[in-house]
Amino acid sequence: MLPNLRKALEGIVVCDFSWVGAGPIATNVLGQCGAEVIKIESRNRPDLLRTGGPFKDGINEGLERSGYFANRNPNKKGIALDMSHPKARAVAVRLIRKSDIVINNFRVGQMEKWGLGWEDVRKINPRIIYVTMSLQGETGPQKSYMGFGVNLNALCGLTDRACFPGERPFGTGTNYTDHVMAPSHSLFGIMAALLDREKTSKGQTVAISQLKSAISMAPTSVLAYGANGDTLGPGGLGDPDAAPHGLFTALGHRKWIAIAVFDEDEWRALKKVMGSPAWAEGEKFSTLQGRKENEKELNDCIEEWTKSRYADWIMNELLRNGVRAGVVNDARGAIEDEHLRQREFWSYLDHPVMGNTVYNRAPIRFSKTPLRMETAAPLLGQHTKEVLSGMLAYTEEEINTLIEEKVLV
Amino acid sequence: MSGDPLRSIGPFYKNIPGKERSLQFAYYNAGKRGTVLDIESERGKEVFVKLCTNADILFESFTPGYLDGLGLSFDVLSAVNPKLVQTSITPFGHFGPYSAYPGSDLTCSALGGFLYLAGVDNDKPVRACDNQAYRMAEVYAAVGSSIATLFAQRTGIGQFVDVSCMEAVGMALETAAQCWDLEGTLRRGRGREAGSATIHPCQDGFVAIVAIMGRNKVMWEPFVEWMKAEGVEEWEAFDNDNWINAAYRESKEGYDLFCRIFERFSMKHTKQYLYDAGQAHRVAISPVSNGKDLLENPQLNYHDFWKRLHHEPVGGEVVCPGAPYEFGSLEWRLGSSAPTFGQHTAELLGECGYSGHEIDALDKEGVVYVAKS
Repeated sequence: MLPNLRKALEGIVVCDFSWVGAGPIATNVLGQCGAEVIKIESRNRPDLLRTGGPFKDGINEGLERSGYFANRNPNKKGIALDMSHPKARAVAVRLIRKSDIVINNFRVGQMEKWGLGWEDVRKINPRIIYVTMSLQGETGPQKSYMGFGVNLNALCGLTDRACFPGERPFGTGTNYTDHVMAPSHSLFGIMAALLDREKTSKGQTVAISQLKSAISMAPTSVLAYGANGDTLGPGGLGDPDAAPHGLFTALGHRKWIAIAVFDEDEWRALKKVMGSPAWAEGEKFSTLQGRKENEKELNDCIEEWTKSRYADWIMNELLRNGVRAGVVNDARGAIEDEHLRQREFWSYLDHPVMGNTVYNRAPIRFSKTPLRMETAAPLLGQHTKEVLSGMLAYTEEEINTLIEEKVLV
Repeated sequence: MSGDPLRSIGPFYKNIPGKERSLQFAYYNAGKRGTVLDIESERGKEVFVKLCTNADILFESFTPGYLDGLGLSFDVLSAVNPKLVQTSITPFGHFGPYSAYPGSDLTCSALGGFLYLAGVDNDKPVRACDNQAYRMAEVYAAVGSSIATLFAQRTGIGQFVDVSCMEAVGMALETAAQCWDLEGTLRRGRGREAGSATIHPCQDGFVAIVAIMGRNKVMWEPFVEWMKAEGVEEWEAFDNDNWINAAYRESKEGYDLFCRIFERFSMKHTKQYLYDAGQAHRVAISPVSNGKDLLENPQLNYHDFWKRLHHEPVGGEVVCPGAPYEFGSLEWRLGSSAPTFGQHTAELLGECGYSGHEIDALDKEGVVYVAKS
């Protein structure tokens, strides 16, 4: 077999009821790895993200212009199936027979209402990996407490220290938990179940708690309180084992340069690039301990140097001299970054309504089974006929009947 | 021979530094066995190759090119174990113009476009805890390794998996890349639009609230009801369609008014009270938890989430996060205490076929380190 012709998850079929956040991001990665992801929506219940901005050219019309939706759903096939119609279940059952994974992030009880809870599905196909996602688990005193990513960021401990001393916490400025913590743990749970199935030939349930996933990636405040009774204060931009370590203002609108110095070689190199200024040779800055004790003065001195210079020039000079440095890229900077371009992190995929727009791939480069970035996000119902007549073996007549009966809408 | 640098990173158990006392080391390495091996020595390379011969996955975070320079490239390892998956986590990955440069969590978070979002207007960005660029790279390395392992089991073909921290933060840009690409705007963080993902002080800390998104009046009404039920001074000001308009919420006037009324109320209550009372009114409010709040969280304790890991070298307990997911039949476990320096060297070399005498000799020569129990 020639390398580069196969996909890592070739042959895996995903019956994807998930919408909005963490679910679609997880199935996006499966799709990039070659799984066939069939996304189920309906005009009566479209993925809510289709109405979330940004929109192509800023025009908020219809369901096919959202970049928020698009970036989470490339390489998937979209079918329109109104699950509230009594005849929809039979179509879903046919799909589940062909599937390896069934994933949803509805409230508990929704799939059961459609006769597609785990106990139903395991009878349809005992090899199914059945994935559910909840905010805080399916039992317990706060199981029905609601929250968006920003709430979960706060609840899991990620936000508390994300501020400067004396200021109110800010966090990441995004729904971080939805984008990283929950989908990555869902993926790992799915893969563990698939690997187990290789041995047992049996499927199983995978129930993800978004809160618990998030905590496992932000453990230090709990570790410190649990072992020492300490409550850790604002994190600022410092690092206990590095100085200088921070963001420094550079020339231009909202331009900063990140500099992180962990050892004496790096400190000497930084001094050299700064032109060996007299202040930097002072006794108080000659050790890490000294620089930590005088960190504010140190940072002020460095900012005095950076603020009249271009961030990218500083970065290039520092990197060449072995100092860890990076410009604070805005989205345009990241999209135009030569390193990310050469690594093909971004792709432009052509969409019937949006045209050629930007997507990012998963941060995984396989040497023999490269990720695919082939098709843009599906229009609602774009692949209904293709999937039903192909994979699900419906006749054209049957499909037309289902359309007339408003099952496939 | 030195240990994992994480061994010397705090916080430490009882705040006393020591190679076996790092709490993060204890958590991230629970359930593993550990060996100490000098892979730059010829005998050490032999041991390393033997370990890889029996392995499913080689996880490493060496500077790109380091293993190749030692004659331990993926091609060499793959020749002795064709099913081997080698996953490498580095700041910038194994190719591309930055690949040879040094990087850190902060610089990768900056370059990838993630840090820029953690601020409003002209604010200098803030930084979330726990080195999230490293964490993101780790979770995607775990995902990539498991996918490559499934492929290797099915086909007999292993491969090299290249994970870059700078790329990993690209998963956390939310809509930022599309805002630029589709609308030509450079978005920053949410956090100063009244009642829509804002953070407010209360008696014992802070709370986060999402009382409205977009033009969703149905979301806002329960919030107004809650304010009314609490008898919040000036609550009537919230009963106004102005708040349905994002531009008003983003205005200084709207934000300041929201803060003035809501915070006069929130400052009289604890985060736990505001969490329970707001949620009872179907308002998406939550505490900004610190370590204490998390350990006392009733929901997590109902699930017996926290695991008390007996950390042998300090003779005490380290409280660690438990399972992020529950399986129907697989069992999640945190596993045994993190390995001490060289704890399992003899055991692992024994499994590779080395005799006791050979292991002693390697220990004396400084090729390996065997912990003396």
